[in-house]
Amino acid sequence: MMLLAAFACLSMQDPMAAVAASEARRVAVIDRCAAAVCSVMSMDSPGGGSGVVFDPMGFVLTNYHVVGEPDKDYAAPEPPDGVDPVEWRAEHLPTGSQHYKNKKVGLPDGRLYEAVVLGIDPGSDLAVLRLLPKEEGQTWPWCDLGDSDELLVGETVFAMGNPFLLATDFTPTVTFGIVSGTHRYQEGQGNRMLVYPDCIQVDAPVNPGNSGGPLFNERGEVVGINGRISIGDRGRVNVGVGFAIASNQIRNFLGDLMAGRHAEHGTLDMSAWFMTSRDGKEHKRGVFVQQTYRDSVVVKAGVGLGDEITRFNGIDVRSANQLATLVGVLPADTWVTMRHRPVLPEGGFGDERQITVKLTALDTGSSRNDETRLASRVDRRIAKDQLVARWLDSDERDVAVAWSRVGPAGEALEAIAHGDRLRLTIGRKVYVRAGGDDGFAIEGGAARDLTLDERERLRRELVANPLLWPRGELAQRLDGALLLGGVHVHGQPAYRFALPGDGDCEAWFFHDGAPAGFAFRDPVRRAHVQWFVRDRQLRVIVDRELEPGWSCGERSTGQPEEQWFKRGS
Amino acid sequence: MRSMSVVLAVAACLPAQKQDFGEAYSFDERKPKSRVEQTVDELLPSIVKIHGASGLATINAYATGIIVSDRGHILTLDQILLQADRTRVVLYDGSVHDAILYPADERLGVRLLKISPEEVDGELRPLWPPSEEEARYRTGQFVVSLGNCFRLAEFSEKVSATFGVVVGKANTALRYRMADVKYDGDIILTDACNNPGHYGGGLFTLDGRWIGLNMRLLDSKETNTMLSAAIPSRDLLPYLEERVLGKAREEVTTEKVPVWTGIRLFEQAGRRSPPAYVDRVKRGSPGKELGLRIDDLIVRIDDFSIRSCAEFRRVLEKYKPGDTVRVMWKRGTRVMEGEMKLAEEPK
Repeated sequence: MMLLAAFACLSMQDPMAAVAASEARRVAVIDRCAAAVCSVMSMDSPGGGSGVVFDPMGFVLTNYHVVGEPDKDYAAPEPPDGVDPVEWRAEHLPTGSQHYKNKKVGLPDGRLYEAVVLGIDPGSDLAVLRLLPKEEGQTWPWCDLGDSDELLVGETVFAMGNPFLLATDFTPTVTFGIVSGTHRYQEGQGNRMLVYPDCIQVDAPVNPGNSGGPLFNERGEVVGINGRISIGDRGRVNVGVGFAIASNQIRNFLGDLMAGRHAEHGTLDMSAWFMTSRDGKEHKRGVFVQQTYRDSVVVKAGVGLGDEITRFNGIDVRSANQLATLVGVLPADTWVTMRHRPVLPEGGFGDERQITVKLTALDTGSSRNDETRLASRVDRRIAKDQLVARWLDSDERDVAVAWSRVGPAGEALEAIAHGDRLRLTIGRKVYVRAGGDDGFAIEGGAARDLTLDERERLRRELVANPLLWPRGELAQRLDGALLLGGVHVHGQPAYRFALPGDGDCEAWFFHDGAPAGFAFRDPVRRAHVQWFVRDRQLRVIVDRELEPGWSCGERSTGQPEEQWFKRGS
Repeated sequence: MRSMSVVLAVAACLPAQKQDFGEAYSFDERKPKSRVEQTVDELLPSIVKIHGASGLATINAYATGIIVSDRGHILTLDQILLQADRTRVVLYDGSVHDAILYPADERLGVRLLKISPEEVDGELRPLWPPSEEEARYRTGQFVVSLGNCFRLAEFSEKVSATFGVVVGKANTALRYRMADVKYDGDIILTDACNNPGHYGGGLFTLDGRWIGLNMRLLDSKETNTMLSAAIPSRDLLPYLEERVLGKAREEVTTEKVPVWTGIRLFEQAGRRSPPAYVDRVKRGSPGKELGLRIDDLIVRIDDFSIRSCAEFRRVLEKYKPGDTVRVMWKRGTRVMEGEMKLAEEPK
């Protein structure tokens, strides 16, 4: 009824004017987007796919199956004359045993660029390349990643790319359609490779050569990477069922991909079925654990065969496909929560309980050894600069930043930082770093000088903890840092940066530049410590083990007061 | 310091531990905005997934259906997978129900199923074909097609939606090689993609009117092309009214008298029906009057192409004694044509 009313309402306007306006909008969006769509080809063999530039510095997203396997006959370039070859290699060459020759990337500006393969994700068919500039300071037209969770069945989308390599001048082919389905789980090939755990199904024609190309929403944001199609019995052509990797899944791996990693997917080492089980006298439908490895993380946390899985990361589990989707989009080493109802020996199910576990890496048979990094330090520095450049939208410099947390035993830590000064309150003790190494402690009402350990602790807190950095100083604080990879913090993807210096310190940031946590080697506890922060949620990991019971307060800012850092206060 | 202490004091009072890691991946959806989104959203609760018997690689054990009554009637395309005791219906909420089968409509090639409405949580959301006036469709009109193609949706997952226009109207009987399409009325051709599993789903206008039931893909081996098509919903009404509303059908009340042509075709027992070569024509019969001879090959009756003896018989079933049909036949290399007045078999 409502629909009919809407229809009547619309038809009162001049329908041709509405169609013309909609068409004009579409043409404008396509015109803008087309400039960022590229053809990706290998240097020396025919065939190829598509890709999209998602950053002005020439970072390109495409499918793993477009870049293919690492090259066996890869020959590293030689250092130019007159430079220290060892230093040059450390700076300009990837590390490890598996590498790619550069790819050819054609853009609609009609030019052919060389591009470096930076990161690969064979598990779900993604790869990131970086275009090499033809002149210094060159930038490229780009399209931002959109929010694929916003997509709704029936929404207008268009796919771009170079199907059947039709365009020899690299102007992309545009096809138009609607979202046919969301959150589809599509199985992979071989040893769990090329799984599409959470893809968007579209009826916009996608054909061979479209692989790696972008799927746009009406606003021209990249909401997916077109990678595969369901086919009828007519061979590899479109039958109106194409699948695109969701942009929100891509974001989860973007940190690793831009940092040159072989992205790893997380797994619970468990399979579950949607089926009927007997709960007392009643038949109950739900998702039940069907198989596990004996050393699976969930088994260690107390999950057994036949248990019902009810929630995963705060979402009700309604089908096995959905659980596979929820897990499949997460990288390895992600901490997740899951609720289950244990099956009782006498029949029926016990009370719901919650476990917190860290996903292990899914073995795809192509997994990295940790040494392999396809990106050089130069690539990683450019990636870091690009990410940080997006965050410099704040002039909040001369403010104090506060952060507090409460430990499991009720110990409260409060930190207030202003520039290179820091005031740290632990219970009744107060430590102040007044700038440089000059500081003092207040204990039992009396001030004294800092010990060496205390001095080091304050220095580290100030240098390594991005929660105490004013946003306007990010570029300065991250000067000399390198992009290390990605990390998942409380359900959101974040980037890890290795801070310069000897401290083994990492600072983590979300996509919008908000601090996500940090990691460091604690010399006093002799442990590797990680703090995950989002909103008021806090997790502390000490030597890969969760230390429960931590919570944190708001990060607040304000005008600094001089007396906070004065010895007499 | 005061302002800062307030903040920190608040922080310290927070609950010690939050339980979940936050929403890693939300399945919550925004509200539908565009016309297509709204239409799909409104229609999806009326579309069901159907799972049935299989066993052969070439037979898909899944299809789609449309709820047509709040008493649990579900309409779908009649397919081999629909076997008694082995047919299950999955509703929009993911619940699975055993279905009983109603007799199929042989002419339309559709069949009703029924699930028990008592087992359903909440209310069924039936659709009913719109009136003659409202069911009109025009070439070029936008349509949305809903169905579970390739079984991409399981349980509570949403079936697939495809978008396109009405490409045209066609009569299957006019087309060569459509032997497996039972329905011989006008069909709606569309470019909204139809694939295995989509069959039995619905074709809708953008304002949500149900104009067609998705048929099997029309397949031409000669040109390697396939067409998506649907049976117009208004043609489904007699069957639905008879079976769902309990109204008797008007047309089945008259007794059918077979027609007589006096033509005997050359036919041997075998798997395949051979082409319609004339073996003998009775004296004084309509066939003799037309001038048919032995070894003539009958290729067409009215708009129906005749490729086999079986088709010859099937097409003639559509007529009654007294009707005049236009017959085309081949004699040697010549093609001949003439009118034949069908008769009643002499006693």
